[in-house]
Amino acid sequence: MLVEATPKPASITYADVNRDVVRSLVETGPRYYIALTSAFGLTLVCFFFPWFYQLFYGIGAAGMNHPAVWGTYLSNFIFWIGLSHSGTLLSCVLHLTRSSWRKAMYRSAEAMTLFSLMVAATMVMVHVGRPWFIHWALPYSNQMELWPNFRSPLLFDVMAIATYLTGSAIFIYMGSIPDFAAVRDRTSGWRRHLYVLLSLGWRGTDTEWHRLGWAYTFLAVLIIPLAVSVHSIVSWDFAMSIVPALHQTIFAPYFVVGAIYSGTAGIVTVMFILRKTMHFEQYITHVHFDNLGKLLLALSLIWSYINIVEVFTGWYSGSSAEQEALKYKLFGYYAPLYWEMILCCAVAPLLLISGRFRTSLVPMLVLSIAINIGMYTERFLIVGTSLSRQYLPDAWGLYVPSLVELSILLGSIAMFVTLFLVFVKIFPSVSIYEVKETLPTPAPKADTATKGAAP
Amino acid sequence: MTSVAIGLFSAPQSALSAAEKLNSAGFTTAELLSPIPLEGVEAALGEKPNTIKRFTLFGGLFGACFGFILAAGTAVLYLHPTGGRPIITLPPFFIIAYEMTILFGILATVLGFFISARLPALKERVYVPEVGVDKFALTVRCKNAPELSRVQTLMREAGAETVRTDEETS
Repeated sequence: MLVEATPKPASITYADVNRDVVRSLVETGPRYYIALTSAFGLTLVCFFFPWFYQLFYGIGAAGMNHPAVWGTYLSNFIFWIGLSHSGTLLSCVLHLTRSSWRKAMYRSAEAMTLFSLMVAATMVMVHVGRPWFIHWALPYSNQMELWPNFRSPLLFDVMAIATYLTGSAIFIYMGSIPDFAAVRDRTSGWRRHLYVLLSLGWRGTDTEWHRLGWAYTFLAVLIIPLAVSVHSIVSWDFAMSIVPALHQTIFAPYFVVGAIYSGTAGIVTVMFILRKTMHFEQYITHVHFDNLGKLLLALSLIWSYINIVEVFTGWYSGSSAEQEALKYKLFGYYAPLYWEMILCCAVAPLLLISGRFRTSLVPMLVLSIAINIGMYTERFLIVGTSLSRQYLPDAWGLYVPSLVELSILLGSIAMFVTLFLVFVKIFPSVSIYEVKETLPTPAPKADTATKGAAP
Repeated sequence: MTSVAIGLFSAPQSALSAAEKLNSAGFTTAELLSPIPLEGVEAALGEKPNTIKRFTLFGGLFGACFGFILAAGTAVLYLHPTGGRPIITLPPFFIIAYEMTILFGILATVLGFFISARLPALKERVYVPEVGVDKFALTVRCKNAPELSRVQTLMREAGAETVRTDEETS
């Protein structure tokens, strides 16, 4: 059972919430600037410079070659798409189930979705080698009679990810309109002008709240099946090929569960850092970590079950190519990575059975990072190693990422951090109005001795 | 110019009961401004029609048709026969239709929200900054001075902490 967020201390008032959130936006210390400069610098040095190098010298700068023509760029792509999966999806599910513990953390989780998707889209640009032709993937008529093939999962991907990116951006923005209005009145200078524009003239009337409530609920209902479809489609990029170990019907649920799993671990990491650096201890409590821990435990068990099924079907298939691929995965060149993944994603999360572990924040942070390392490894094993061991032994080969690829992986993390650091100074990273909803409503003046309940 | 009476309340219960009294006294232009969405506001000020659902429904239906026609139309216009399989292949084209259903459903929902909530505000409207923090405000547009005075009296009787007047261009 997930626990509802504990009532906040009676000392927290509506005005305190406004003050704390505005403070997180306008009070910026030197540590923030150091972090932002470092992250941005790392993005330039580790992501953009190697990418330009690759554009200049050609895709050969990456380690991808026959037979392994897919490499870490696609692993990064799946990893970032996966990381995007818990934010908006979890927020929508918890909104529809009216879970009050969602309220303090959903804004940052949704931002995580948005920025992960942006980074994932950039990884596609890097992978295709000639990004100036990326518009060929879009369905528009042209004189070459070159139209996209709508039967291909790659084009499903274009449609699904474009929809998910649009939906996630709209969902986070719609939920933030009342907060932009609340912040608008307490800021000055360029921020005030920005929030005047972003809040669209929101006044908080009963009609506006009514409309926002319905629109938000409809968006949540639309986004849940969308999120499930996005990672199912990403899995079909692989499962619809006839490569041994990839051509499996379980791939769609496997990818969806894996995505939600890594995304939830990502939320734990982000919540920990946000809580510490923005001093949101009163809003992001141990209850949030406890609930996220329970969710992670459930997801790790489902993920482990699917892995067991995958091994079993490979062994039971009777196909020599499948069995060879399975043997290669468990005991071959990349086997240490496989067992590292099992350790990080199936064994270590069993610690979450302990309630004490779930409410210990530093161990939760370490575990959440370990899970995402394991999940990245999973994506690498799917993408990088399957093509190394296909049907004919004379087509076997090894894939080892080049320095350019490793640098771009590091740079993609830096890019995500940069985007997130910019976000926390523009968007209220904790929802003002939804946190207020969890507080006792002010009592009438004549009855101030007892706090009134919400009508 | 229209005079707008504004009553400020610190508790939502007082604001809701005041809204109910004003509404039953015939002041149907009363609006309740609050820092959080309030339950019970429809009981006080009357049911509100939900027009957004139609936008979502028709947006979704349009998206489904658009997605299928885009995929099927492309296949028909640019023939690419593969292994004797049908040109219009339903399973993959339904996936495109599914994604477009959701995309246009989302876009239409947002459009419906903007239209029905009258956002973005294109002209100056009465605004109460305290509502962004912790106050609940009732606003009533009044045609003349006697009406304004009656509304202000009703607000004070219902427990308004502050009652003030603002002007709005009609």
